[in-house]
Amino acid sequence: MSLTSPTFFAFLAATIVAFHLSTLVPYRRFVLGTANAVFIGSYLSDVREVLPLLAFLLLGYACVVLVHLRRSGVVLGLGVVAVLVSFIFLKRFSFFEPLGSLPFPYLLIGLSYILFRILHVMIDVRSGDLDALVRPLAFFRYTCNFLAFVSGPIQRYQEFSATDGVEQAALDPDKVYRAFSRIATGYVKFVIIAATAEYAFTYLNQQLAGAGGTKLVVFYASAASAYLIHLYFNFSGYMDIVIGAGYLLGQTLPENFDKPFVSRSFLEFWQRWHMTLSQWFKFYLFNPLLMLLMSLFPAPALTAYLGVVTFFVTFMVMGIWHGTTAVFVVYGLLMGLGASVNKIWQVVCADRLGKKGYRSLTEKVWYIYCARGVTMAYFLLAFTCLWIPELPQLISLVHRLGLVGLGSAFVMLAVLFALAALVMDGVGKRVPGVSITAVGEGLVARNVVLAGKIMSVIAIASLFHKAPDFVYKAF
Amino acid sequence: MKLILKQAALTFVSFATLYLIVLGVSFAVLPAPAQNGVLDAQAAGGTLYMTSPKYVFLGRGTLSSADRKVIMVGASNIGNGFRATMVQPLMLCSKVSNLGVGGTNISQVNQIIDLVHEVQDGATRKLNTFVIGVWYGMFVDSEVRYNDADRNRGDTDIDIERYRYGFARRTANGSVNVVPARWLDAGVAAIRPILLLEKAARTMRSMADRLTGRSRDHTDAEREAAVMTDKQKQDALVYWLQGMGSNDQISQEQVALLIRTVDRLLNAGEQVVLADLPIPAWHRDASPYYPAYQEALQAIVQQFDGRRAFKFMRMSDLDGNEDYSDEVHAKPHLAKVWSARLVEILNPLVCNGDSERSPIASSGSVVR
Repeated sequence: MSLTSPTFFAFLAATIVAFHLSTLVPYRRFVLGTANAVFIGSYLSDVREVLPLLAFLLLGYACVVLVHLRRSGVVLGLGVVAVLVSFIFLKRFSFFEPLGSLPFPYLLIGLSYILFRILHVMIDVRSGDLDALVRPLAFFRYTCNFLAFVSGPIQRYQEFSATDGVEQAALDPDKVYRAFSRIATGYVKFVIIAATAEYAFTYLNQQLAGAGGTKLVVFYASAASAYLIHLYFNFSGYMDIVIGAGYLLGQTLPENFDKPFVSRSFLEFWQRWHMTLSQWFKFYLFNPLLMLLMSLFPAPALTAYLGVVTFFVTFMVMGIWHGTTAVFVVYGLLMGLGASVNKIWQVVCADRLGKKGYRSLTEKVWYIYCARGVTMAYFLLAFTCLWIPELPQLISLVHRLGLVGLGSAFVMLAVLFALAALVMDGVGKRVPGVSITAVGEGLVARNVVLAGKIMSVIAIASLFHKAPDFVYKAF
Repeated sequence: MKLILKQAALTFVSFATLYLIVLGVSFAVLPAPAQNGVLDAQAAGGTLYMTSPKYVFLGRGTLSSADRKVIMVGASNIGNGFRATMVQPLMLCSKVSNLGVGGTNISQVNQIIDLVHEVQDGATRKLNTFVIGVWYGMFVDSEVRYNDADRNRGDTDIDIERYRYGFARRTANGSVNVVPARWLDAGVAAIRPILLLEKAARTMRSMADRLTGRSRDHTDAEREAAVMTDKQKQDALVYWLQGMGSNDQISQEQVALLIRTVDRLLNAGEQVVLADLPIPAWHRDASPYYPAYQEALQAIVQQFDGRRAFKFMRMSDLDGNEDYSDEVHAKPHLAKVWSARLVEILNPLVCNGDSERSPIASSGSVVR
């Protein structure tokens, strides 16, 4: 069911009411498990469609149990390979077409996020971070938590388990209001800002076909900017909705965004954007890979450069994860390139200027805004792969733009974002932000604000011709 | 649990209060239109409904009255050429409504007829005379005509309005009404706050378009003065070539649907005037679709020829290039001729010998 549908609101309300009918942990776990099953069931038109997902979960759970019983690196390795191969087969990656495919349509939503959760549990069981055997129903509730099923966040099992049917702290009126308000803010972001940006993006994208020369560069830069705004508000809106709903179900889901537009570098951007994904890759790919390389090449002088290689591999894999077509290999390479160049810049600057000198450079105003502009411009160009998912179309666009066009677009975006950041920061310092506190914290005032958000969402939603959808659902 | 229910109640009460305030404002700013039993989609922009599809879908309740009605359906060129404000004063015994929606195809014409039927009982339907205005550009499948990125593929403009406010829901077998037709007016009253906010947003956009010179709204004087350049004519031909889904054929499914539509209207005791709406000679002669369209039209006319309640209207002599403001739309001076020709056919068909001028005719159509 779509998170913007009346069915979802009814489902969420019913789940919250059922959850709070009793404080018994087994009862609450039963409610959450049932809710997950109903949520997944809502995507099915034929029972066969869920069978691959069930098989994937069963395989994942079998691997977890085996790793728990043997605690062996070999078993873990075999398990990881088995799960990854199954995932690649089910996701129908275009470059693995010879693997064949199942002869019927099936549910793919949420599979990528389930993969991360399964691998995390297996690895943590092997390392001893997860001592007790994860029970089958707990495994289902964790991997298929309906709040995080569609587009994450990727929560660690240890954190999920601590709140699984167990209320951490008693709700109070303020917490409940904040939960309602956060959900409403999520819909404002999702339905008003993201959908409007998508509307603009669709228009600008259509103009690209007939444009040439400077017009093409301007339309391309504008389309890329509109897409980024759409992507951010769509995804962070979704996060607000599920985190807010989580509060009401005793769950503390991790945050996925932390002001990504203030990032001063590629690597900082990924610490602020889709944070749970970056953290997952840091724990389960970057760190082990770096350790492996350091054990193979133990010379201390090489450590920094091994970091460059590790960043490249990690971000390339993370980029490729986003899709199933050849374009996402390009996206992976761009991500890898961005991360490694960023790391090389840090190493070279620290070598040349010394650590203090480099730190002093990064605190200079001109450097900060240049870095912010360049960071955003790089992501805007790289994100093109997310909105042009076929390689021939991407090549055609790059060919039409040419090096000069791409360079011009990059410079234009960097300058515009740097200036925008400068202006926003200046305004932010001089004008106190309008917040709920400014409006008033009284019962009436804050509920009128909440009602106003809902009213705006309903009114603006009626302007669009179709209900918006979550972008990351497709990844 | 109590805290959550209390907050839910507070949210509901706050929302309901806010909604009622805006509802009150909507009645103060835009009072309920006095439609006098007629609709004119040409005038939709000045109403609370703003666009012709919304106007037709939400405003059709007024067509439920038990009196003789001429209901014009088709694309924008029907309302532009057969102007309700010109036709109505000449009609002897019937109210005239224009339900033309821009860019429509035969599927959407069929939907609009169904929507009219939804608000009428059997006896009232028998008082209907549908004027179906056609030209080749309407014989395009919905999957081709309605496939822009901002909609679910194949959803007509009427479908969008059905789903937009929850009056209907989408199912695998098409739309299903959520709000029964008898509650349509109550439903429209309930969504007035949303319509008001929407109107405010559209008005702001329209003002911005006017300020930036991108407005597509034209006055009659501008239409009358318009002369298409060769480049504009070429662009128009390319536009239709790209939008028809074929290089030289019209959709036979749409032809078959038109036949079924006319047939069911006639079988139900309603009257039909099928009007072949002319286009300028340059367009007709250059269009690769025109021969196929004329062939299909002949077959349709032959099928219904001789049935008392069916009339076919051809105006192929009205094809002067300078009489059209673009590739399809008649200029205001030609609209007078179109309208007069229509009345010549309608009065004998609709009035069945009634010669007295109806009070409705002298009152004209009052729409908002």
